[in-house]
Amino acid sequence: MTEWRSGRLEGVRVTEGGDGPLTSVVGQSVLFAKLQDLLAWGRKNSLWPLNFGLSCCFVEMATSFTSVYDVARFGAEVARGSPRQADVLVVSGTVFLKVAPVIKQLYEQMLEPRWVISMGSCSNSGGMFDAYSVVQGVDKFIPVDVYMPGCPPPPHAFMECLLLLQSMVGSERRPLSVHFGPQDVQRPIMPSMRDAKRAERMGQREYPSIDVLPRTDLLSSHFAGQPGGRSKGKS
Amino acid sequence: MTLRASALSDASIAEQSGLLSELMAHCGSDGSLVAVQTTKDGIPTVWIKRQQLRDVLRYVKSELSRPFSMLFDLSATDERLRRNHDGLPIGTFTVFYHLFSFDRNQSLRIKVALDDESLSLPSIIDLWPNADWYEREIFDMFGIRFEGHPFLRRLLMPSWWDGYPLRKDHPSRATEVGMFQLPPDKLDMTQDALQFKPEDWGLPRTYHDRDSDFDYMFINLGPAHTGTHGVLRLVAQLAGEEIVNIVPDIGFHHRSQEKIAERQTWHTFIPYTDRIDYLQGVLNEMPYCLAVERLAGITVPPRAQAIRVMMSEFYRIASHLVWYGTFAGDVGALSPVFYMFNDRERILSIVEAVCGGRMHPNWFRIGGVARDLPIGWDQLVRQFIDWFPERLDDYERLVMDNPILKQRTVGIGVLSREDAIAWGATGPMLRACGLPWDLRKVRPYSGYEQFDFEVPTASNGDCYDRAVVHMLELRQSLRIIRQCLDSMPAGPYTSLDPLATPPLKQHTMQDIETLINHFVGVSWGPVLPPGEAEVSTESSKGQTSYYLTSDGSQFSYRTRIRTPSFAHIQMVPLMARGELLSDLLAVLGSVDYVLSDVDR
Ligand code: SF4
Repeated sequence: MTEWRSGRLEGVRVTEGGDGPLTSVVGQSVLFAKLQDLLAWGRKNSLWPLNFGLSCCFVEMATSFTSVYDVARFGAEVARGSPRQADVLVVSGTVFLKVAPVIKQLYEQMLEPRWVISMGSCSNSGGMFDAYSVVQGVDKFIPVDVYMPGCPPPPHAFMECLLLLQSMVGSERRPLSVHFGPQDVQRPIMPSMRDAKRAERMGQREYPSIDVLPRTDLLSSHFAGQPGGRSKGKS
Repeated sequence: MTLRASALSDASIAEQSGLLSELMAHCGSDGSLVAVQTTKDGIPTVWIKRQQLRDVLRYVKSELSRPFSMLFDLSATDERLRRNHDGLPIGTFTVFYHLFSFDRNQSLRIKVALDDESLSLPSIIDLWPNADWYEREIFDMFGIRFEGHPFLRRLLMPSWWDGYPLRKDHPSRATEVGMFQLPPDKLDMTQDALQFKPEDWGLPRTYHDRDSDFDYMFINLGPAHTGTHGVLRLVAQLAGEEIVNIVPDIGFHHRSQEKIAERQTWHTFIPYTDRIDYLQGVLNEMPYCLAVERLAGITVPPRAQAIRVMMSEFYRIASHLVWYGTFAGDVGALSPVFYMFNDRERILSIVEAVCGGRMHPNWFRIGGVARDLPIGWDQLVRQFIDWFPERLDDYERLVMDNPILKQRTVGIGVLSREDAIAWGATGPMLRACGLPWDLRKVRPYSGYEQFDFEVPTASNGDCYDRAVVHMLELRQSLRIIRQCLDSMPAGPYTSLDPLATPPLKQHTMQDIETLINHFVGVSWGPVLPPGEAEVSTESSKGQTSYYLTSDGSQFSYRTRIRTPSFAHIQMVPLMARGELLSDLLAVLGSVDYVLSDVDR
């Protein structure tokens, strides 16, 4: 397990030692880790998406970049216009027949390591558009790492999938050099979220009424960005 | 040739017969006017012989008093499987021209029947320049040729496509034709098909005259480009930095909605309409449901009408906000979009509380809306409309008064009123040219006549003025919502008509008949009487219209969806010619469009 000398990162055991100010100063600025782990940690927290949208789902993806949701908290707000600078291709919308070769080319122009999130029913399987001009799922021609259900998935779902992808990327191990160590990519087996969430979902007994609204304050600081509102989520 | 009575007002019948007698006088007795059709929408509909088509169109465009100056829509129908054609002179295909007269505030539909041997018509590009894409679309979808069209090639489908999708013998589902694969050779072929060759579009590669001699530069923008807001492709021909011409390439977002409409029941097509323009939710459902109700003869109760209006205006605000933010972003102001998306998030909270969905509410039903408003809706709505005007003041200072934004948009992408009409511009695009034309005012529907609001206009028709119109419309929408809030009528939220769908639960459980009625109504949906109806409404981007043809079954025989974005994207070359390349994004940003609304 990773052992850091600084206490800012998750999975970290802070090693207390010595008692002088020197130790604590050094402790805040020096870390010891396996290079592999450090790289994985870096990749995980800087997943830059390609700025590419297909249809309705892209609007929800774009919404998650704005301040109410703010994916900058996860280091994923740096949307790149060029596939060569991007790590994640989010296929956000309907995969049209005419645009399939374009997606394929964008994917091929991305440098390894690269990941694909399939956002929304259309991209997962064609969704409600079983139609002559729509490819029934982007996985017919590029590999997909995370499938996100929904039509469209709300921004929360986008963030959940981003975190899932992060946890996968964080525990992937990749070769450091062509000269030593295993040359293959070691990938964790990701659990099916349907199975993971089943017990909780089956256990749900109380549902909010759809006829009576809970009292909602549209001016609360949840909607950041007005005078007096705090930006959310910075803890 | 008889005119049957219909449920229209006397005034409009008089209008109609006035127009028809003018037409008949022009056509004379040589039989070029084959028949007059009575449709449920009250739009005068005449069948013309194809030989006289151009003559009649020219007549109504330029010789008739108070002429029909706009080609509003142009499409076709495959008639080969139609059973209930009511004695109409149909052939195998019908091409219909929907014209509009601002002077008369009236539509005119001209139909031409075609037979198998002669699937061609004369092109009318010289009469209305916007016929260009409509004719290409018909060629693409039906395989009907237009003689004299300079670039008659596929518009929406890729050039290598085989078959004509909207013909009745073309498969509708992807799962009918085997799995999609993209092996290397197909990838190469499809990517080659996207190569742009200037010669194909009649664009020269070089320029010569006495004093200069240079090569044009061709720049490809999209389909994956951050400035095009989706999968739109534009190829710009440049002389230095100046735009000489632009060739838009669309169809990257073609979702076959018109074909899908032929296999969904009347009721189950409603969620698809949400996705026609995915930013404006229920504003898409409005024309569709109104057209279905027109076919079925359903009257919508006042409360349902007011709920529809209120939610429509919320979506109009949400859509305008996205437009406003991205427009400011396109010309370099990056912060407004964050504020505006926050406001949109508040609107979506209200929408979610009422409809249950955010972007795709699926909220209107045939005859009303899905549910009554939840208890507590008024508090949410009031909070929003009390607070929002102040925000709009902020935006005016932040965006509209911004000197950089003004420099980049004033006088850029100017559209004259004549061009706007000739190219089929509607909505804020048209109002920015000074024509106060808003269907909510001039041909009210769903009870808009009871609301007090104004139709904002601007005068120059440039990018800045389009923003001004959007900005002012936000306030008018708030005004309408406030009136809904203050005087929401009581009563049922859906019609009690037997064709209203889904049927009300309280009418079942009486005996076996009511149970069966309910079951059939819910599972199969209503069977609508044969007929045709078209309704256009003022959606956020312009006029959207649904032209439904019922053959007397649970499905639509043909659904024609006319969208404003299609017309507006076709005008981009017109607005951008002569501007600098950097202004192209300002022009594109000022055209309120959504790719799903362009390609359907
Ligand atoms: S999944 Fe739904 S929201 Fe997403 S692109 Fe498809 S239709 Fe649009």
